[in-house]
Amino acid sequence: MPSDTALTVRNLKTYFYNNNRCNKAVNGVSFSIRRGKTLCIVGESGCGKSVTASSIMQLLPELSRIEEGNIVYHAKTGDVHIERLERNSDEMRSLRGAEIAMIFQDPMTALNPAYTIGFQIGETLKYHTAMSASEIRTRSLELLRDMGISLPEQRIDEYPHQYSGGMRQRAMIAMAMACNPKILIADEPTTALDVTIQAQIFELMDNLKVEYKTAIMLITHDMGVVAELADEVAVMYMGNIVESGTVDDVLRRPQHPYTQALLDSIPVLGRGKQQKIKAISGSTPDAYDRPVGCQFAPRCEKATIACNEMPLDTSITTSHTVRCWHPRDGAP
Amino acid sequence: MLTYIIRRILILIPMLFGISFLVYLGLEFTPGDAVSHMIPPDLANQVSAEKLEAIRESLGLNKSFLHRYWSWLSHAVRGDFGHSISGGVSISKIVLDRLPATLELSAAALIISTILGIMLGTYSALHKGTYTDSGLTAVGMLGVSIPEFFFGLVAILIFALKLGWLPVGGRLMPGMESWIDHLPNIILPALVLSLMMTAGVMRYSRSSMLDALNKEFVKTARAKGMPEWRVNFLHGFRVALTPVVVIIGFRLPTLIGGSVIIEEVFQWPGVGAEFIQAVRGQDYPLVMMIALFSVFAMLMASLIVDVLTAWIDPRVRLGEE
Amino acid sequence: MVSKALNKKFDRIKAREEYGIEPKRVRSRALRKLLSNRLAVVGLIIFSIITLASIFAPLLTQWDPGKINLRAMLQPPSAEHWFGTDKTGRDVFARVLYGGRVSILVGLGSALLSAIVGVSIGLYAGYRGGWFDTVTLRISELFMAFPQIILVLMLVSIVGQSLFNLIIIFVVSGWGAMYRLARARMLSLREEEYVQALQSFGLSTARICYKHVLPNTLGPIMVNITLTTAMFILAEAGLSFLGLGVPLSIPTWGNILNVAQDIRVLQNNWWMWLPVGAIISLFVLSVNFIGDGLRDSADPNLQG
Repeated sequence: MPSDTALTVRNLKTYFYNNNRCNKAVNGVSFSIRRGKTLCIVGESGCGKSVTASSIMQLLPELSRIEEGNIVYHAKTGDVHIERLERNSDEMRSLRGAEIAMIFQDPMTALNPAYTIGFQIGETLKYHTAMSASEIRTRSLELLRDMGISLPEQRIDEYPHQYSGGMRQRAMIAMAMACNPKILIADEPTTALDVTIQAQIFELMDNLKVEYKTAIMLITHDMGVVAELADEVAVMYMGNIVESGTVDDVLRRPQHPYTQALLDSIPVLGRGKQQKIKAISGSTPDAYDRPVGCQFAPRCEKATIACNEMPLDTSITTSHTVRCWHPRDGAP
Repeated sequence: MLTYIIRRILILIPMLFGISFLVYLGLEFTPGDAVSHMIPPDLANQVSAEKLEAIRESLGLNKSFLHRYWSWLSHAVRGDFGHSISGGVSISKIVLDRLPATLELSAAALIISTILGIMLGTYSALHKGTYTDSGLTAVGMLGVSIPEFFFGLVAILIFALKLGWLPVGGRLMPGMESWIDHLPNIILPALVLSLMMTAGVMRYSRSSMLDALNKEFVKTARAKGMPEWRVNFLHGFRVALTPVVVIIGFRLPTLIGGSVIIEEVFQWPGVGAEFIQAVRGQDYPLVMMIALFSVFAMLMASLIVDVLTAWIDPRVRLGEE
Repeated sequence: MVSKALNKKFDRIKAREEYGIEPKRVRSRALRKLLSNRLAVVGLIIFSIITLASIFAPLLTQWDPGKINLRAMLQPPSAEHWFGTDKTGRDVFARVLYGGRVSILVGLGSALLSAIVGVSIGLYAGYRGGWFDTVTLRISELFMAFPQIILVLMLVSIVGQSLFNLIIIFVVSGWGAMYRLARARMLSLREEEYVQALQSFGLSTARICYKHVLPNTLGPIMVNITLTTAMFILAEAGLSFLGLGVPLSIPTWGNILNVAQDIRVLQNNWWMWLPVGAIISLFVLSVNFIGDGLRDSADPNLQG
């Protein structure tokens, strides 16, 4: 295992048990996150990308569990098997916020309306460090300033509803970065924000990566974001990672038909109105009634009888892996 | 915040006008005219017919409907609510005499049901799906389904008549001086009166708490590594509390309504028991006035609840809408 | 890591799915949810039993509820008189059955009437807005400012006691809540595109309100009708217990309980008031169960 790997996920399976049915939301996912790199997990809604993030944080809803696989956090003191920890045990809690932090999609609902921003940032510091109240305040002010919030002395005592959308997400990031976590998981952090604000938030996250060597796991459905921010990409479809590799591998030499279809469905600026945008045919299957083999087979143009069996992960290059019987550059 | 309170009070004024007009209409439609109740019956019997006529004239009794309403209202505003038909006593005196008993009982029931209801409801929410939770939910359902007076009768039968632990009813017996002396008297009525409200508050606290625990910011708190008690109470409970305070305000009418019957069952000498006597004795002015007071009390209560919730919620406290 | 009980449950579900056994499914989603709510089903059963027993009272008891029999005064329950007899020798069981007819009629009837009045005004006011909306809103506020039982007793003292008056009084005190519910629903539905489409077709206001919007408000209204029924049954019982509800000559559940105001009856003749009180509680409980079940089944956010 290379020493800069912060977290390794191996064959993770997380199932949901709502309405007396079993939904195999994440069904065998493997990847690793490296220090100072951004891994983008991309896929349409319901493909299991958020569930993967929640599994790492052990923040899954009550009616769900991790069935199989490992989530290993490579701490300085040795490896920690997150999947073996109790959901809200002391060990799990000492990881959350301090070692692995997470920010969410909608900063309005993710911040508690009843408390000031300062209080909510301070909380993290209070539980993970031995700082005194005044040190906490100084550090909180510093964090807000670092995240680009003007007039932090005044803003620190304000409530979330007094912040604008972009500032709320900055405050969320300040909260997440309070204890200098090794890993930052961002679950569609800009979906609820204006496009102009989005760029600012991404810039901020890129800085964090360089400055603090934070490993970032960014969950998104936006290929544009991937192109801009990612070092590595994992494409998810129906609970599986269908293709993964460096951003160059996946965006320039997509192997899986789903990845290709995703890339074909994006309009490109400057190509004018004549450009062909290809929509993916069919619709996402019912989560309770999944295809037997390759999950994408029913919508795939290249599907053959072989696709009734789940494909194996195949290495195209050392960094590039695809899970398909018929990758673009030849059969495995 | 201050402007909010002032605005809230200003809204009440047309409301009070409307209610008083409604009550006045009721008085006009019942035997005897509204304003004539302003004349003490003793006086009316003593003085001569001409003098009575002069008094009627001065009260505006012979003028138009609106005039009479105005005359009645201006007396009421000054605290002169007229006289009861049966006793001839001034209504304000009757109500003031009876008010402490009612306030005592309602306050006791309110405190019991608020504390018990919120505690049980929160406990239930935190233990969702367990047997304790189902048990509490069932008890809560029962609580809103048993008629309060029937529950009171059963309580009297068991604790007063069979076991003899507590008195059957009444409030102040001769020789009772300190509040400790009449503590046994208030236990049963207060518990019985709080039953329905406790059940309601409990059900509501449970769902409000569950609601709050499902919020995204609770997940954030967990993601920050907060201990469960802090997640549940500082983040969940704190936010769940606001709607519960509102619902307690909304439920106050049930408490006031319930106290009417409970006072009668336990012979508790409050305004409610007096009200029932008045309805039975067709003492119209007394009935109407007590009704008017109850509305006034309700409006005041809702005002207090609004101010309280505004104070809890930073969005309103900081002067934004 | 999850708790042992949940782990077991999950294993069971997974095993079943792997064998390909699917749970049976009732077609309507709302109905399925209602039926899967055990309490609602229990409520429905109790409700039906008590209601049917009241309707078919003559088939279930040979006694006439009003027949005075001085030779059978104050008898405790026996094979002949299931709930005993009262001070004038009337059979209490027969009185409970026949009393149920009136009590349920008052409760359900007043709730339905309140809904009809409140919903029809509320939908119209919500749709039209303007002065009609303002005026009706203010009026409903006036009525809702009173604690219900005080408003009811005040009106009783003005118009006098009778079965008919009581129902009217209940409607006067109960329409406001229905009005507000319907109006609020209309205010949000009015902005929906389908309503705006109907407007552009030039449909009449009444047709839009009552033919197209009403069905979409029925869920919460049904829930409210059940809860209001429970409330009115409790109110009737309370008023009649005080002797201020339905005239004492007509047996109702509340009127039967009226005798318990006498402390000697309370202490010595439990059969005269305890069973009927229990039946009122049971009936109201069943209605509340149904109401809760309806609420859950009407709410798409709740999953069973």
